[in-house]
Amino acid sequence: MEEPPLREEEGEEEEEEGDEAGPEGALRKSPFQLTVEDVYDISYVVGRELMALGSDPRVTQLQFKIVRVLEMLETLVNEGNLAVEELRMERDNLRKEVERLRREGSAATREVNLGPEKMVVDLTDPNRPRFTLQELRDVLQERNKLKSQLLVVQEELQCYKSGLIPAREGPGGRREKDTLVARANNASSNREEKTIIRKLFSFRSGKQT
Amino acid sequence: MRSSLTPLGPPVSRDRIIATFPKLKEHFHGQVSAACQRRNTGTVGLNLSKVVVVGDLYVGKTSLIHRFCKNVFDRDYKATIGVDFEIERFEIAGIPYSLQIWDTAGQEKFKCIASAYYRGAQAIITAFDLTDMQTLEHTRQWLEDALRENEPGSCFVFLVGTKKDLLSGAACEQAEVEAVHLANEMQAEYWSVSAKTGENVKAFFLRVAALAFEQSVLQDLERRDSSRLQLGTGDLIRTLPETQESKRPSSLGCC
Repeated sequence: MEEPPLREEEGEEEEEEGDEAGPEGALRKSPFQLTVEDVYDISYVVGRELMALGSDPRVTQLQFKIVRVLEMLETLVNEGNLAVEELRMERDNLRKEVERLRREGSAATREVNLGPEKMVVDLTDPNRPRFTLQELRDVLQERNKLKSQLLVVQEELQCYKSGLIPAREGPGGRREKDTLVARANNASSNREEKTIIRKLFSFRSGKQT
Repeated sequence: MRSSLTPLGPPVSRDRIIATFPKLKEHFHGQVSAACQRRNTGTVGLNLSKVVVVGDLYVGKTSLIHRFCKNVFDRDYKATIGVDFEIERFEIAGIPYSLQIWDTAGQEKFKCIASAYYRGAQAIITAFDLTDMQTLEHTRQWLEDALRENEPGSCFVFLVGTKKDLLSGAACEQAEVEAVHLANEMQAEYWSVSAKTGENVKAFFLRVAALAFEQSVLQDLERRDSSRLQLGTGDLIRTLPETQESKRPSSLGCC
C-alpha cells in the first residue's frame, strides 16, 4: 500500500489532496488521515468494481461482507476523528494555559520555586519575620540576665532601706554588698569579669538554674 | 521569727512566711522540722529552686504567676515571648527560701526556646483552661516534654485548672472530674484557681513552695549524710519510704 510521505502531525489540509485525486485518492492515504468522506469514496470505488464483476452469487456474498467491513471502518474513522478533535481542543487549551502561566511567571520574576516547607516573605511588610531563632534566644537570655540583676539590685536597695546593710560607703559595707550580689546570682558590676559572668549566668539561668 | 542565722536578703513580706505545712498534711517532715530548728539546712536557703509552668497558649500561665508575684490581673492578653521568670522569696519554717518561677510561652513556635528552660525543675506546673477541655488533654504532652528534660522522679507535678471564675459551680465540678482523673494518671496534684479573682492562687503557690522546700532540705540532708557515711560513721537510720512518700504527693481533688 502506497503511503504519502510522512507529514507533520498537524496536517489539517490533507483532504485537499484526496479531493484532487478523486475517489481513488482515498485508497492511497495514510490510514491515520482517513476521513469519513474518504471511507465513502472507498466504498464508491469498491462498489463500482463489484458491480463490474456481475451478479455471481459469490460476489453478492462477498459484497455483504465488504459492506460490513466498510461500515466498521466508517465507525472507527468517525470515532478516531472525534477523539482527535477533542485532543486538539485540549491541546489548544493547555497551550493557552501555559502561555498565561509563562506571562504571570515573568511578571512576578521574584517568585521562586518553593518547596512545601518554604514560605514567601514580603520585603515591604514592616512586620515580616526577620530575626533568627538564635537572635531571639540571645535577646531572651540577655533580658533574663538583666531582670535577675534588677531583682538583686532591688533586694539590695531593700536591704539598705531596712537597715540590714549600713548605708555608709566604707570598705566593710562595700564588701558585704559585693558578696551579696555575687552570692545571689554570680553577677558582678566588674567590667572585666563581665564576659565570664555572662557565660556563667547564661548557663545558670538558661540551662540550669 | 527571723533568726540571726539567716542573714541573706531583706525580710520577706508577711504573707510569704510559711510556718505550718499548707494543705494535705499538718507538719513538715520530721527530719525537715528538726533540721530547720537546728538551722541545719545547708545551702538550701541560698539556692533558687526552679519551678516551670507549661501549658497551651492562653490558658493563663502568665496571669497566674502575675497574680501570685505581683497581685495584679491584666484583662488584656499578651502572648509570652519565649520565656519569662519571676523570683519569689519565702521564709519557710524559719529558713529563707526562693523560687524562680519560669513562665513559658504556650505558642508552638516558641517551644524550642522554652523547652531549653525545663531542665533542673523541682516542680512542673501544667496549666489548662477549665473552660476548654482540649487544653486539659494537651497537658499530657506538655508534661511529657517537661519530664523528658529532668531526672525521673525528681519533679513535683501539679495540674492546675485556670479561669475558675468563668465557670458555674456545676460546670466546674464536671470539668474537675476529668481533671482529677488525669491528675491521678500523671501522679500530679490537682488545683483549680482563678487569677482574676485570686482564688486559690496564693494557697497553691505556698503549697508548691513548701513541697519544694521540704524536698530541698531532705536532699541536702541526704547528700550530707551520704558524704558522712563515706567517711565511715555509718550510724544513720534512713527513712527512705517516708521520703519517697513526701516526694510523690497523693493526688487529690480540691476546692
